[in-house]
Amino acid sequence: MSVEHTVGMAQRPAETKPTKPAIDWRGRLLDRAPFLVACLMLALIIGIYGSLQSGVFSLDELNLDTAAAMTLMLAATGQTIVLLRGGIDLSIGGMISLGTVIAATRFTDDPSTTALWALIILALGFLIGALNGLLISLLKLQPFLVTLATWSILNGVAMIILPTDGGSIPSWWVGFASAQFIGLASPVWMLLALLMFWGWFRATRAGIAIQATGSNEKSAFLSGVSITRVNLVTYGLSGLFAAGAALFLVTQTGAGSPTIGKDYILPSVAAAVIGGVSLFGGRGHLAGTLIGAFVLTLIGNLVFVLHVSSYWQPVASGVILLLSVLASSVAEKAARNRVQ
Amino acid sequence: MDLVTVNGLSKRYGGIVALSEATFGARAGEVHALLGENGAGKSTFIQILSGAVQHDGGSILVDGRDYRPANPDAAQARGIAAVFQELSLIPDLSVEQNIWFRHEPRTLLRTVNRKEMRRKTLALLEKYNFPALRPDQELRRLTLAERQIVEIAKGLAKDTRILILDEATSALPAREAEWLLKLTRQLAAEGRLVIFISHRMAEVRAIADRLTIFRNGSTVAAHEANAVSDNEIVTQMIGRHLDRLYPERVATATDSIALSVKGVSSGSRLSGVDFALREGEVLGVGGLQGHGQRELFQALFGATRASGTIELWGKPVSIGNPRQALTGKDGIALVPEDRRGQGLLLTKSVRENLTLSVIKRFTENGLLSRQKEAALVKEMVDFLRIKAGTPEQLAGTLSGGNQQKVIFGKMLLTQARVLLLYDPTRGVDVGTKGEIFQLMRDLASKGYAILFHSSDMPELVHVADRVLVMRNGRIAATLEGDHISEEEILRAAMLETKAA
Ligand SMILES: Nc1ncnc2c1ncn2[C@@H]1O[C@H](COP(=O)(O)OP(=O)(O)O)[C@@H](O)[C@H]1O
Ligand SMILES: [Mg+2]
Repeated sequence: MSVEHTVGMAQRPAETKPTKPAIDWRGRLLDRAPFLVACLMLALIIGIYGSLQSGVFSLDELNLDTAAAMTLMLAATGQTIVLLRGGIDLSIGGMISLGTVIAATRFTDDPSTTALWALIILALGFLIGALNGLLISLLKLQPFLVTLATWSILNGVAMIILPTDGGSIPSWWVGFASAQFIGLASPVWMLLALLMFWGWFRATRAGIAIQATGSNEKSAFLSGVSITRVNLVTYGLSGLFAAGAALFLVTQTGAGSPTIGKDYILPSVAAAVIGGVSLFGGRGHLAGTLIGAFVLTLIGNLVFVLHVSSYWQPVASGVILLLSVLASSVAEKAARNRVQ
Repeated sequence: MDLVTVNGLSKRYGGIVALSEATFGARAGEVHALLGENGAGKSTFIQILSGAVQHDGGSILVDGRDYRPANPDAAQARGIAAVFQELSLIPDLSVEQNIWFRHEPRTLLRTVNRKEMRRKTLALLEKYNFPALRPDQELRRLTLAERQIVEIAKGLAKDTRILILDEATSALPAREAEWLLKLTRQLAAEGRLVIFISHRMAEVRAIADRLTIFRNGSTVAAHEANAVSDNEIVTQMIGRHLDRLYPERVATATDSIALSVKGVSSGSRLSGVDFALREGEVLGVGGLQGHGQRELFQALFGATRASGTIELWGKPVSIGNPRQALTGKDGIALVPEDRRGQGLLLTKSVRENLTLSVIKRFTENGLLSRQKEAALVKEMVDFLRIKAGTPEQLAGTLSGGNQQKVIFGKMLLTQARVLLLYDPTRGVDVGTKGEIFQLMRDLASKGYAILFHSSDMPELVHVADRVLVMRNGRIAATLEGDHISEEEILRAAMLETKAA
């Protein structure tokens, strides 16, 4: 056999034109399964809660529960952005503590001083977060390790500023959380604002680049994304939202606490996961996270009205988390089998 | 004047020299083919041109101006885009989001203007006569071929003066490959430069104006395409004269049935397939693409749900998930279609890829014997002549042909003697192709039973002992001996058969 013949490729036959694939409804449903499961859980919890307690289906209850959930929601918003990028941010615990102690030691009755310090706290949140992002990029370290370290540092600094719970928050700042506009308390408006922010952010080039980097970092790089910039913005926003969570938290506690932040680290991840945000990056929406935050908060209410030991709350939260993870892994497997 | 001029280009990865003193020149308005064996440095060259990696030495001039892109963005700014072999697509974005990624049309609020994006997508797809794609489909739901097409659309979406196609046709079925060749000519006619890498000589012949040949990281020759013969090209590519690509066909099949398949069906794509594969036999599976070949291999390997009976060495096996039940000597092993996705862990070493799935074989009393592992790995690397710096080199950094050899090694280490080879030479250079065919014959003579699909018909004709031709999910004909020819395969694949 001569090379001429063997190497040359035979002319290939023409093929039938591929038909346009139909919309894959089952696939789309499977994709949204974790989110739908979260909605179902929330409906179930509200149902049980409503049958045990009167007045659950009222605006007052909505205002109260949203206020109770808002700190977690803010922290989890930042965490959702980080998870979408395929990372994790433990340092929000330190940032929240630091934010509350700065507020408790610096806020005064003078609105302009207080506003200035509030801005400083937010800026600090962004900068410290961006520093996390920079360290992750430059040192090529695991986000888990870097943010664990900054968590510890921030915690220490918070302790130095205010060793024990205390300080004071001006009452006009505290009153902000219960202020109402058109029957809805400010936390409900914040919730709407968060959703609007998300709708906007996810449609911007930056939002898409962050999601894309979480979906496949190498491909994002080859498409021209600067991974360093993505990390900077992602962790910066996470720090910013953590600072926002601190500013809201002090309206609920009326004081600063150098240790309170740690209570939000794992719940922020749990809220996102319950809401269908993938821990592997690239997939998820804030709506799911917010529902997850409601679920975690209302479980607390439920435990309260059931008159059982409050230690049942973490048990119930854990079981719900497991159920969500199970639901998403079942859905993912089903989806994968379909692709092949 | 040349649009791109490259002189003395060098690139090392640690101890591995990927490019050394390569030269290159290409003009606007031409299709310039880049040829060379796997590992010759072609992908490295285009990665440098497209800003994905940076060179250590040498110079590149574009438009007579110095060119040294720090990242893919900088390359795009100078109008250079690449359709990467490894694809640069985002699984969780839709087709249109991928096409316009980072260049999305925007509204006043700086958000993506979806309407405009859809309009531009449809216009682009229409302008270049793209095969059917749903713009809103999520990428991870697409087949490899569809992804390749999206990657091409993405390359064209920007205002690209130099488009680089790295083995873009290797993942495409015949019809789409043909479309791409036409597209390439159209782009050149529009005054762009297309740098085209392919292992298919007929394609190069069909579209290239000029060609440059790489060997071992250096340029060995540049020709006007019509001034050089296939023979000369191959000799320059491999540095020796290749007198035969296909090994001699020695009949080694015995009467013992290794794999018996009866009435295997799966969805609408596979409807009642029967055949028997004998020990020592290479059984080809051919026909037009998309007539159930892929589904057949997946059903046999248990990757999709199917009904029917499958027997391995006379023993019936559960069709639901044979893979689990079938490890060891009576098992079945697969070389998958998408070697980068399914076959290899790109971020693991050659050693780990070879041994991960057979770790039990060198575990003694629950302890891993590193010595035993190293010995087996060395044996496999030598046997298959895998060109890697050390067994610890990451699989993702090997050239295509060597990646394929690692997959073969992985498969052989499972000790399974029924082998399913799905298009094992896709994207593999002629030299390595020859080695793979020889390996198949050697394995057959040792009693392995091989089911072999190729998208390249001459391979089936010259390598297989018998060829099953598939049409509409059925075996339309079984060709033997002198009846195995491209004409017969095509006839059976396209025409209604008389009783076969
Ligand atoms: N990232 C990397 N690390 C180590 N070696 C690499 C890397 N990329 C490529 N190589 C090596 O460089 C050589 C050239 O590879 P490549 O450019 O991919 O060749 P081709 O595309 O012509 O097949 C090969 O020996 C390959 O193993
Ligand atoms: Mg290559």
